[in-house]
Amino acid sequence: MKRTWRWPLAGFVVGGLVGATLLTVNIVGAFVGDPAGVVGPAVDSGFNGEILHTPPLLVPRGQPVELAYEVVCEPTAERPGAACSPKGSVHVRGVGEQGFANVPLAADSRGRLSATIGGRYTLGAGFDYYVDIEDGRGSSQSLPAAGHDVSQHVWIVADETNVDLKEHVFGRTRAPGEIVARAEWGSGDRHLGLTSGDEQARIGPSAFDVAPDGSVVVLDQVNQRLAVYPRGGAQRNVPIPFDGGEGDLAVGGGGTIYVLDDGGAATPIPVVRSFDGDGRPIAGTPIAEPVADMIRVGPNGPVVHSYPSELWFPTGIAKPPLSPADQTELARPGRAVEGGLEVVVHASPGQARFALVRGAQVVNSWLLMSSTSLGEVQLAEPYGDGLLVVFRLWTESQAEFRVLRLTSGGLADSFSVDRAEWAESASLSRFRLHGDTLYQLRSDPSGVEVAAFEIGGTK
Amino acid sequence: MRNRAKLFGFLPGLVGGLMLALLVFGTPAGAYHTDFQSQCNNSFFNYGPITRSESRNYAYSAAAEGYQWGGGCWNNDNVDQSPGDPPGDPYTRGEGPDCSGLTFKAWYERAETPDPWFRYHYLMQNVHGPYTAADFKYGVGAPNTTVAKADTVFADAFASTYHIGMIYWAHTGYNEDRIIEAKCEACGSGTWPRTYRGNPDYSGARRLYWA
Repeated sequence: MKRTWRWPLAGFVVGGLVGATLLTVNIVGAFVGDPAGVVGPAVDSGFNGEILHTPPLLVPRGQPVELAYEVVCEPTAERPGAACSPKGSVHVRGVGEQGFANVPLAADSRGRLSATIGGRYTLGAGFDYYVDIEDGRGSSQSLPAAGHDVSQHVWIVADETNVDLKEHVFGRTRAPGEIVARAEWGSGDRHLGLTSGDEQARIGPSAFDVAPDGSVVVLDQVNQRLAVYPRGGAQRNVPIPFDGGEGDLAVGGGGTIYVLDDGGAATPIPVVRSFDGDGRPIAGTPIAEPVADMIRVGPNGPVVHSYPSELWFPTGIAKPPLSPADQTELARPGRAVEGGLEVVVHASPGQARFALVRGAQVVNSWLLMSSTSLGEVQLAEPYGDGLLVVFRLWTESQAEFRVLRLTSGGLADSFSVDRAEWAESASLSRFRLHGDTLYQLRSDPSGVEVAAFEIGGTK
Repeated sequence: MRNRAKLFGFLPGLVGGLMLALLVFGTPAGAYHTDFQSQCNNSFFNYGPITRSESRNYAYSAAAEGYQWGGGCWNNDNVDQSPGDPPGDPYTRGEGPDCSGLTFKAWYERAETPDPWFRYHYLMQNVHGPYTAADFKYGVGAPNTTVAKADTVFADAFASTYHIGMIYWAHTGYNEDRIIEAKCEACGSGTWPRTYRGNPDYSGARRLYWA
């Protein structure tokens, strides 16, 4: 080799090694160096499918209740036909009892499994239950997954306040008192991201919340960042890791920002990541169940509502946060709020029940009825001695949100709000209550805004 | 003087080596498309009417398998083999269906729009079918019809002009519906609670002739 090539060749080799090292450190660091770079664990219970069930949660005294289940069985081969033949039992225990009674599930002609629970269980103080289902392919599963250790619960409602909304009149909406944040669509510094196209959903910012200092924090997941709007200030953007297409967000009393990432294509397990007020990552943990739709902050930290159990799983405020196993042990059917209370919600197209409970005792409950179809319950938060609730009312061609202030005496106040949902957000993330102000995430073809409505009344 | 000459020789080599490493190991990772569809097939056979449960089981096989605009094949290993493809580009040839393609396959429909009967499409069959989300919304094709959203049950769908998702489990505790859908490139395909039922953009869509 000519001596003149020696040093350029040495430089070439060193440069190549440095480049390869930089890329390796960067790739590995993205997964293990960053506490917020957590990814979900592989889940393999041997049960290739899912048990589907909606817990009744709130049942009038003495009324029998049907516990219904359907089972989804993933095909294990490329052929049509029934993938499995599930059967099982539900296990029921009245409040104060030690052991669970075994009630076999009956199957109807299309494979739906059910058991009717009545008698002493709905005449007493409530009951716990869980189901064991065997799929006919040699695997079985419990729902909730922890079975008798962390079961589902039904509260018995003896005395509830009835609120009949009758037929809803559309078009009489209240205008917002103030717009506290606004941005056009895009990826620039003063924009919020939109993903859209043929044959796919039109998705804008997934969620928002209001920080203790009044700043509005928007989850701009399309641009992989948080957009922070200080009171009277300009938009400030904080990059965050975000893998999925949508998620949710909640800000704790200390200003910690909790982001629920639904995982999406990158990892099918939802993840909660926490950040300080400046967006610096604190910690992250996968959720115990494969689908989650809400994160809220309670007196003991963040809790996540997930499926198939529909329990609330705490993820912890500490670093490290709670593992999926710890979350499962501490899961609750109601959402913990201040004063040792829990908020419990069960809604259907014709009626919705809301309750504040303490342990097994129902402290206050409301039955909401409507001649117009009820949609999803967007918000149910303690307000004064009652609740502030926001839900959708809809027909085939119209929809609005209705805000109700429920007190122990009944309906104290209500108004309607334009749905303003040109772009999709996470399904239950359009409203937040902060003090006496209700905030709404709204969108139209020009952009996104967060609107404020003063609630008033005795808080 | 000799050190300066060595340095002048070393530095261009260093820059060249660094550039080559970044080009070889870095750039292609970002631009690389997996061409998942090259493993797919065109296997199908006609079949008798199936139940709604069988349709839902089939759709569930697409969960966690990714989203591909205009696509139609997946391998049921619960991993998206082609995450991060640019949205709206059918030529990235990634894994997974799009929203209307998933509905077409899960509803066992035939490519011939006047034919209302059933056809089993292999999961790895790369077929999208003739219908867009808007077609399902308006009941285009002999197997399809519209239905009031209030009357929908599982394995029916909610369709807008831009998206469609099938009902996986109706009426959760907060009165959402769990929907099985191919949502977007970042979302992939899966089951999520949605509020399409009460959104006037969406209409009820139904496949006819279930067993």
